[in-house]
Amino acid sequence: MSLQILINALVNAALIAPPAMAFSLLFGILRFPNFAIGGYITVGAFAAYTLNVPLGLPLPLATAGAMAFTGLVVWLAHVLVFKPMEGQSAVTLLVVSIAVTLILESVIRLFYSADVRGFDIPLQRPYRIGEMRITKEQIEIIVLAVAMGTGLHLLLRYTRIGRAMRAVADNPMLASIRGVDAARVTTFTTVLCGAIFGLTGVFAGLDLVIEPLVGWNLTIPIFAAAILGGIGSPYGAILGAIVLGLAEELTILVLPSTYKIGVGFVIIAVLLLVRPQGLFGTVEIKK
Amino acid sequence: MSAYLISMTTYAGFFMILALALNLQWGLTGMVNFGIAGFYALGAYASGLLSAKAGWPLGLSIPAAVAVGLVAGGLVALLSMRLREDFLAIVTLGVGEMIRLVVLNEDQITEGPRGLRIDAQPFRDLVGQENYAIFYLCFVALFVAVTYAICERIRTGPMGRTLRAIREDDVVAGVLGKDVFRHRVQIFAIGGGFMGLAGALYAHYTQNISPEVFMPMVAMFIWMSVIVGGAGNNRGLLIGAGTVIMFLEGTRFIGDVIPSLDAEKMSALRIIIIGLLLIVTIRLRPRGLLPEPKFTYEPRKDAGKPARSPT
Amino acid sequence: MPEPILSVAGLRSGYGRTVICDDISLSVAAGRITCIIGPNGAGKSTLLKTIAGVIRPMAGSVRVGGVEIAGELAAQVARSGMAYVPQEANIFRALTTHENLAMGGWIDESRTKDARDKVYAMFPDLAPLAKVPAGNLSGGQRQMVAFGMALMLEPRVLLLDEPSAGLSPLMVAQMFETVRRVNSEGVAILMVEQNAVQGLKSAHEGIVMASGRIVLQKPAKDLLTSADVSELYLGSRT
Repeated sequence: MSLQILINALVNAALIAPPAMAFSLLFGILRFPNFAIGGYITVGAFAAYTLNVPLGLPLPLATAGAMAFTGLVVWLAHVLVFKPMEGQSAVTLLVVSIAVTLILESVIRLFYSADVRGFDIPLQRPYRIGEMRITKEQIEIIVLAVAMGTGLHLLLRYTRIGRAMRAVADNPMLASIRGVDAARVTTFTTVLCGAIFGLTGVFAGLDLVIEPLVGWNLTIPIFAAAILGGIGSPYGAILGAIVLGLAEELTILVLPSTYKIGVGFVIIAVLLLVRPQGLFGTVEIKK
Repeated sequence: MSAYLISMTTYAGFFMILALALNLQWGLTGMVNFGIAGFYALGAYASGLLSAKAGWPLGLSIPAAVAVGLVAGGLVALLSMRLREDFLAIVTLGVGEMIRLVVLNEDQITEGPRGLRIDAQPFRDLVGQENYAIFYLCFVALFVAVTYAICERIRTGPMGRTLRAIREDDVVAGVLGKDVFRHRVQIFAIGGGFMGLAGALYAHYTQNISPEVFMPMVAMFIWMSVIVGGAGNNRGLLIGAGTVIMFLEGTRFIGDVIPSLDAEKMSALRIIIIGLLLIVTIRLRPRGLLPEPKFTYEPRKDAGKPARSPT
Repeated sequence: MPEPILSVAGLRSGYGRTVICDDISLSVAAGRITCIIGPNGAGKSTLLKTIAGVIRPMAGSVRVGGVEIAGELAAQVARSGMAYVPQEANIFRALTTHENLAMGGWIDESRTKDARDKVYAMFPDLAPLAKVPAGNLSGGQRQMVAFGMALMLEPRVLLLDEPSAGLSPLMVAQMFETVRRVNSEGVAILMVEQNAVQGLKSAHEGIVMASGRIVLQKPAKDLLTSADVSELYLGSRT
């Protein structure tokens, strides 16, 4: 029984960790918590759905398409909305990002009815290992999440652009002084993160449901994981996601499952009060 | 038609109280409250449940709603006062969502999505069916006036002026110390109380409340009222709130013109337009959502052309 | 006489609408060191930041090796053969020493390996710290990293903003020694210094700034011995 909890926690973490890393990266570069990620994730889920069901593409292809499409949407949002507002205060940008999420969700609601949807994939029984159950989709999510995390790590540590991303996140003024085109690095980072959010949308569609609120419901847990790990630290976000995944599973042992999102919120509230820099962070959150 | 106008104006009244309360919180304490829907819900459910399920008279349940809002506001302020503004906004958003979740889940008590039916209405027997709508409008208008008066009084009084002056200057605020902190908490709490009041008034008007009403969208609409009206200006607020309501209600008619849009899609379209309006307004306002701090260091960020001046 | 490697003419600069320094004209000859001193608030840092492209000038010209760069963004200026070392926040705290130096060579990474070896040769204390995140280094070590970063592209002109700030007296001496060493390889240096005595002692030319303008411009050793300068400016030591 307790191992099942671990498995569920792992799946949760796999769902949350890549977007939490992306969120941290974005926070480092943009300097504000970008709540548009909810909308991006929903876009990813619906894009994949559209490619997969009405258009009949196999899911892996639909996923790739969704990631590209979400990257595009994020790029558009960056160019049309966020970049022109670059100098504004973090609160203003936060409010605007929430507006973006609401707009994206509503556009989707406009074009798709409110029915519950799922991907067109062959139905398969979960695998059983002793007492535990895990579905093929869940295994895929975990594997892909690990691959994504590893890929991101390799990018950040060993490539030129990765170094530039970290440099700009650390000290954008100095990066410019040393010749880095901060604007281009920022654009690249946002599009990359967009692709990650698109992938998260697909995961969410596989593990949860495809509905307009899917992204919003993940926003708080993602934010909680990022803060837990120390916002601005992509590696901390992974740890944060694991802790969060566990916390969520343990909580629904005692409370109804609809309170799952509450776990994230409680963690955020407690952290911001007690240890705002999380486990690894260095960002100033208190005044 | 006039019944419709009366209804619309009454809704505007609720928004006005919410907007006034928000401006009190933001204008004086500088804390960005994104959990407005939560306080609204607290007031609505407090008075609704107390009157419908516990049989309290309205003379007690409505003040109770105000008290609940007050306490909630105080708690939130106490906990999050020292946070950076954007994280604070997120915490308030979280509070609002948590309240909605609890209401949704504890449907044994709250009836959740089924909707809580509230029969009690203030002075219903006295006024009778025919004139009740107009009466309620005046009832609400009275509270709007009272709220306005109180908010103005606080704002222009010595405490209000001090708080406004040091709103962004934490160094000075820190020097002035605990007193300032205490006042900020108090003012945020008062704002919460007004939001609870609005919730109670709403509950007894519609006589049926459910969690879908209390979504983050509400915060967006109220912020829109404050921004459109010219932030900081209480009078402008009222105009802003009225405008937002007119827009929300007015777009119902589009549903008649474009038959393919059902209620669900209509509401989605409205949110899109309001969201876009918000973004455009913030874009056009040079000060953004909050006025900039007094001294700004402005190193170059722009990609402008080289400055060549004739020497 | 050869064209100065850095020449500034009629430069005016400030923040928003406030003018901080005005009508600044100076030049640094190739391979020479010029030190700017003056009281707090004289606009020395602002001037340096403007020359470096961090602040947009309101008027005037800045030429590096004969090429006009005034008004260009800092990232462009970095390609002109001029490197700027800010006073604060002059390293990437989250990156290791090795990576910081790599960022110094961002514009042309083909030369990075050799350039980095040269920096480690100049600052042997940094070599064992290669994998340490720069934020964990001591003040003196961080200063070396900041310096090293600026040297990665073999600049012709180095702009140093109060390089001795926050350093212990021993480190200050080492730092000025480094300045001299770098200069001996032909790099021209324009530095702003609060430590006027040490600064002028290491420099060929001296400039005194006050209230946003250049008040005196003389060979450094003349300034050191001048009576009024001595009284007004050299008396203030951090």
